[in-house]
Amino acid sequence: MFKTTPTVRLLLHVANLTVIVFILLPLVAVFIGSIQSERALQADTRRVLPLEFTLDNFTIILTKGQQRGRIFDQATYLPDNIKSFYTAFMNSMIVACSVTFLTLLFGSLSAYTIARQRFRWTLFLMQANIVARFVPVIVLMIPLYVVMRSVGQLNSLSGVIIAETGFLLPYAILILAPYFDTIPGELEEAARIDGCTRLGAFFHIILPLATPALAACGVIMFIISWHELLIPLILNARPDFMTLPVVIASLVGDVHVFFNLMMAICLLALAPTVVLVALLQKFIVEGLSAGAVKG
Amino acid sequence: MSTPAVTIERAPRRPWYRREMSAGSFAFVMNVPTLLCLGLVLGYPVIYAAYLSVHRVGLGQLRSGVFAFNGWDNYSRVLEDPLFWIALKNTGIFTVVTVGSEIVLAVLIALLINQAGIWTSRITRFLILLPYAIPPICNGLIWSFLYSFQFGFLNRILFSAGLIDNPINWAGNPDTALYAVTVPYIWRTLPFAIILVHAALQGIPRELYEQAAIDGASAWRRFRHITLPMLQQIIAIILILRTAFAFAVFEEILAITQGGPGDATWVAAWYSYKITFSPPNNFGMGSASAFILTLMIAAIALVYMRFIYRRVTL
Repeated sequence: MFKTTPTVRLLLHVANLTVIVFILLPLVAVFIGSIQSERALQADTRRVLPLEFTLDNFTIILTKGQQRGRIFDQATYLPDNIKSFYTAFMNSMIVACSVTFLTLLFGSLSAYTIARQRFRWTLFLMQANIVARFVPVIVLMIPLYVVMRSVGQLNSLSGVIIAETGFLLPYAILILAPYFDTIPGELEEAARIDGCTRLGAFFHIILPLATPALAACGVIMFIISWHELLIPLILNARPDFMTLPVVIASLVGDVHVFFNLMMAICLLALAPTVVLVALLQKFIVEGLSAGAVKG
Repeated sequence: MSTPAVTIERAPRRPWYRREMSAGSFAFVMNVPTLLCLGLVLGYPVIYAAYLSVHRVGLGQLRSGVFAFNGWDNYSRVLEDPLFWIALKNTGIFTVVTVGSEIVLAVLIALLINQAGIWTSRITRFLILLPYAIPPICNGLIWSFLYSFQFGFLNRILFSAGLIDNPINWAGNPDTALYAVTVPYIWRTLPFAIILVHAALQGIPRELYEQAAIDGASAWRRFRHITLPMLQQIIAIILILRTAFAFAVFEEILAITQGGPGDATWVAAWYSYKITFSPPNNFGMGSASAFILTLMIAAIALVYMRFIYRRVTL
């Protein structure tokens, strides 16, 4: 828009470079950390790149501890949770997909009525959703633990799915409601004159039009529930029902687990959402701004 | 002649399940799942947390299912605990540092990626959302590798660049630990703020800048008198949302310092978690401290709704 002098251009390039380095630094660290051995990391504490690379860290995780490779040949101890990588991955996938589906279904039903039917109580419901978005997980977890314990829902995926759905639903509604508001009301009026019921008009006319908003909301819901730690950490203590973040958190206090193995499992856990973000960037950007600004 | 009586046949009343719902009942039916979820997973637990916070609840009581009422005892014990006040102070510092830096950085980086003529800005814009994809617990672990005193990646880089001679104990030093954990948190949550500011920048009419250019306003004056006022609302939104979330920071603390060294990085959510879920498992006190945190965040939420989310009527 404005003419920039060469000096300004240079400064802007430098600024960009700084930001890029800052963004990539942890990702470079997790990658380099995961492809070397514990011994290499300890041998020279001042080297950035190791002398030799190895995939043993990944092999041992992906073969459930069967193929130990050279690094773990002599290791006498391996945390059990490392061996349950596949189970944890599947649990995370089941939880994230179910939560995404449920929040999209309930959220669109609710957001549509809030946007269309202006009653005093729907307005109140919207305000309740805004406040609910602020509720910190920790205050929910203590009573949820006590309740789930008394109804025998500890150590089950359904308990986690219910808790996360309830926790994320207000945010889903905040993202979806402004979009439904932009769809012209004439569309479903025309459908209703042609004999569609209200529900039919919603499912056949409005919902197909809202696909971009559903995609934006869905990918954000999937990412947040894939990342969620505290809810499954507190509700599920048995390895069979742990999700990936819980497995990773269980390695934190373990002095026998070295950084290399941790970085490898972190890299495997962050890969799915990184792929999602890379592919669906446009939707996420729209969803994030819709959920915060428009209402 | 008598005219035959004309009987108008009325359409048979449709059974209830075939009948068209009124707008009101339709709206209600559509919201039943949401109301159930809000009630069961958000409303009820918050009220139950209040209930637990005024009762004596430990593991023994959980087993027997009988909670004895003990009034404000949990609250007074929490408020008399010096560790709680340290945790609150740390939470305050953490929030001020993270939210303050995030707003400044978000405005700067949003302006930077808005430069269409700079080719590196396009790379930055492409990468900007990447931290949003990283699970918080992984983010914490990655940074604990970066910060590690002996084997840390950050020290390695600084050694190689010749910037330091002795390793720096980033997260192990009580004076710097709290600031060390703010960086990963800022790293992870910055994309959200940048995207909001960048979206708001697109909404500023170009004519304003063209007019200012004709008047010969300098770049700084254009920023100060056009950009900044136009960004006011979005900055307020980011301020409040991020403050509320930074108040409840948990994952990065768990992964990097676990409250240490000493009590240097105990924050409010960590306090409630430790009091409740590690021995001696005082659920009453944990609820009380979590409830205090919630009240503080609720105050922030009310400000948000009252002054910022005014367009709630859609």
